[in-house]
Amino acid sequence: MAEIRTEELLMNIGPQHPSTHGVLRVVVKVDGEIIKEAEPVVGYLHRGTEKLAEDLQYTQIIPYTDRMDYLSSMVNNHAIVTAVEHAMDLEVPERAEHLRVIVVELNRLMSHLVFLGTYLLDLGAMSPFLYAFANRERVVDYFNRLCGARLTYNYMRVGGVKWDAPDGWIEDVKTFVPHMRKELDMLHDLVTGNEIFLNRVKGIGVYDTDYALSLGLSGINLRCTGFNWDLRKNKPYSIYDRFDFDVIVGQNGDCFDRYMCHMKEIVESLKIVEQALEQIPDGPVMGKVPKILRVPAGEYYHAIEGTRGELGVYIVSEGKDKPYRLKFRRPSFINLQVLPDLLRGQTMSNLIAILGAVDIVLGEVDA
Amino acid sequence: MSEETKKPAAATEEAPAPVDPRVEQANAFLEGVRSKIVAAFGDAVIEEAGLAKHQPTLVIQNDKWAEVVDYVKQEPSLAFVYPEAMAGTDYMEKGYIEVYLLVHSFVRAGDLALKVRTPRDEAKVPSVTSTFPGTNWEEREIYDLLGVTFVGHPDLKRIMNTDDWNGHPLRKDYVVQD
Amino acid sequence: MDFTWLDKPLEFSTVLNMIIGAVIVLAFILGVVTYTIYFERKVIGWMQWRIGPNRVGPLGLLQSIADVLKLLIKEDIVPAKADRTVFLIAPIIAFFPSFMVLAVIPFTATHVFTAASNVGVVYYIALSALTIIGVVLGGWASNNKYSLIGGMRSAAQMISYEVPLAMSMLGVVLMAGSLNLVKIVEAQQEFPYVWYVVPQLLGFIIFIISAVAELNRTPFDLPEAESELVAGYFTEYSGFRFAFYMLAEYVYVFAMSALGTTLYFGGWSGPFLPGWLWFAIKVSCFIFFFFWVRATMPRIRTDQLLSFAWKVLIPLALLNLVGTAVVKALF
Repeated sequence: MAEIRTEELLMNIGPQHPSTHGVLRVVVKVDGEIIKEAEPVVGYLHRGTEKLAEDLQYTQIIPYTDRMDYLSSMVNNHAIVTAVEHAMDLEVPERAEHLRVIVVELNRLMSHLVFLGTYLLDLGAMSPFLYAFANRERVVDYFNRLCGARLTYNYMRVGGVKWDAPDGWIEDVKTFVPHMRKELDMLHDLVTGNEIFLNRVKGIGVYDTDYALSLGLSGINLRCTGFNWDLRKNKPYSIYDRFDFDVIVGQNGDCFDRYMCHMKEIVESLKIVEQALEQIPDGPVMGKVPKILRVPAGEYYHAIEGTRGELGVYIVSEGKDKPYRLKFRRPSFINLQVLPDLLRGQTMSNLIAILGAVDIVLGEVDA
Repeated sequence: MSEETKKPAAATEEAPAPVDPRVEQANAFLEGVRSKIVAAFGDAVIEEAGLAKHQPTLVIQNDKWAEVVDYVKQEPSLAFVYPEAMAGTDYMEKGYIEVYLLVHSFVRAGDLALKVRTPRDEAKVPSVTSTFPGTNWEEREIYDLLGVTFVGHPDLKRIMNTDDWNGHPLRKDYVVQD
Repeated sequence: MDFTWLDKPLEFSTVLNMIIGAVIVLAFILGVVTYTIYFERKVIGWMQWRIGPNRVGPLGLLQSIADVLKLLIKEDIVPAKADRTVFLIAPIIAFFPSFMVLAVIPFTATHVFTAASNVGVVYYIALSALTIIGVVLGGWASNNKYSLIGGMRSAAQMISYEVPLAMSMLGVVLMAGSLNLVKIVEAQQEFPYVWYVVPQLLGFIIFIISAVAELNRTPFDLPEAESELVAGYFTEYSGFRFAFYMLAEYVYVFAMSALGTTLYFGGWSGPFLPGWLWFAIKVSCFIFFFFWVRATMPRIRTDQLLSFAWKVLIPLALLNLVGTAVVKALF
């Protein structure tokens, strides 16, 4: 009796694909429905930000950082300006620090809402996407009033922020916090208890802390395994040590834990925003900085807790107004390395669930 | 890369300048790590040691790079298990390319910056992917953009540019092609 | 009234009447399907805090017509390496049975346009299975890996859910004592004077779940999962062939709803209002339920879907059948 001949299919997912969250290409070798090997191919959105930065003054680099992780531009801005301030030992006025924290945490919230919407859309539920984006739209409106842009804000400057909050802005943002808390309850009702959803994400894509540490994962991808590591608490920067918030830690390291970490982090961000709105003092929004910023010669590394993990900036300076080398430690780039190991032996439907839960933004993967 | 401690600009008097406690702490950290590495590998393995704005930094000899990195991870009293960042820089005037690796130890609660240098022609550095699998793509990026070959890397190919790209864009003498 | 075409002599006028009747039903169904698509987009839009189509015509009512027109005038693309004959026939095979099954469903008490066949239930199940062939052929003939996988998944799903669907219907057949859909509606008007959804609640639940799976709708829409396989088995279809597949799906939505109404909700029976109006209301409620579920639920994975059918629904359906038989035998 002749054996039935089966073949392994070599399939290409992306770079144009509704579920890869950008221009990501995953080359998978499939045997029936089981993935034998998966290899992500990146670089489709590589724009040479680091090379361009060698020819730009530090303030001119800030708009380029907006476009790396375009879903959380404020956080990227924050990374580069705190890195330069750390290198130059510059003081930032109190009001500017508070405004920074408010916009950064609101941005984190917005990014997590996008995660929620797109993850559930990938899994087949159409409605949470619209509810999440309707709420995100309110915050986008606030940012529009604040700095004139909806997605790439270019808001922070070395030594402070560019624009002060317009009249009535602080009060309007204060009304958003309780509204968002109610909306979050509604989203939990709709999604978190849903049997079908739980069956698709529980126990999928599991890894443990040792693996996560050796791979250099950070942010939610590390904390979902149960390891408590958040740069806002462990290596405090800006004024985060003044706020009372918890670090959300998962238990099992599966996709459901990553989802729940995202949802709970929205609650924590709301807490921080609320406290910052209470405590914000009056004052200038820009500190005393020299007209031309010259970072003293040497090398510096400074990292902040970005929405997707540790967002670090490595500056090598010769004392000029332009950096000799500027390197961004991009969390999505490092987090994406987890994909080949997690996908081996999984079915094609789980590929979508796993890829969505890693929560990458291709702008940040490719820079 | 400098070895400076914070000093006031003009020091004409004999009274010693007050030393920054952060600098003291960083120096103590640096010495603790350095002595262990020297004890295991000998003096010659560390080419330079110092602080870069309170960040302890060691420059390691090229051929011992992979072993030293593995040692600082496996040695229980060092336990630098978390690779935070990796970067490559082209120092064209000085004639070498430098690879920078920042690792963190939860046991010692601090970061350590390890660097290794290689000449610009035929740039070669031993790969540390067997110690830290998370450096896989960073090494590929340094290979792609700077042209450093990582010996022992499981899959060294270009990552950002297309496979048939000519040249290494982040090098200082790279000419943009049309 | 027991009007049936079988009693009439086979003359030219009878044949002509029958053909005209079929054309009227066809046109009516096309109208219903067009507005089902429109209402799906509107209702799901309202559930998602959106408006839905509102530009084309007053309140967007002409949207579906515009869409159908667009599909019909599109360029007819057949992939180069596709199996041409099969590629062309597959949508027709998928679409044909969806109209044919409507012949046995009684719309009104006078059921002028209905065949009143004595094997109505079996006829329905047998024909709806023919669509699966059209789906598989479409997936194969496209010469596209994604379509192939989509076609196979769809076939596995539809075949698996045919079984509990049929078994749940058998419970109703046992209670009514006939396979004739007209007799089933009339039986619901006699003892025990309740619509069959009450004594056959378990059967109804199984029926609804299997119906959603048969229709390839969320949460069982893996074969069409846009985010996973682009569009599954009809990735390569465009223009009016795509329109055929879509039409088949929506005619089945109507047909399943009509079947559910007939079997469990008393068909056209109800006080005060004319029979066809009651029928329309009940079918609309079913269709609304399908829209509601689509807006709310995420998608089930293929392996979970199949194990759900074989390990949960079929045993429950058997239980329902046995229970009905025992009760019938005792009383």
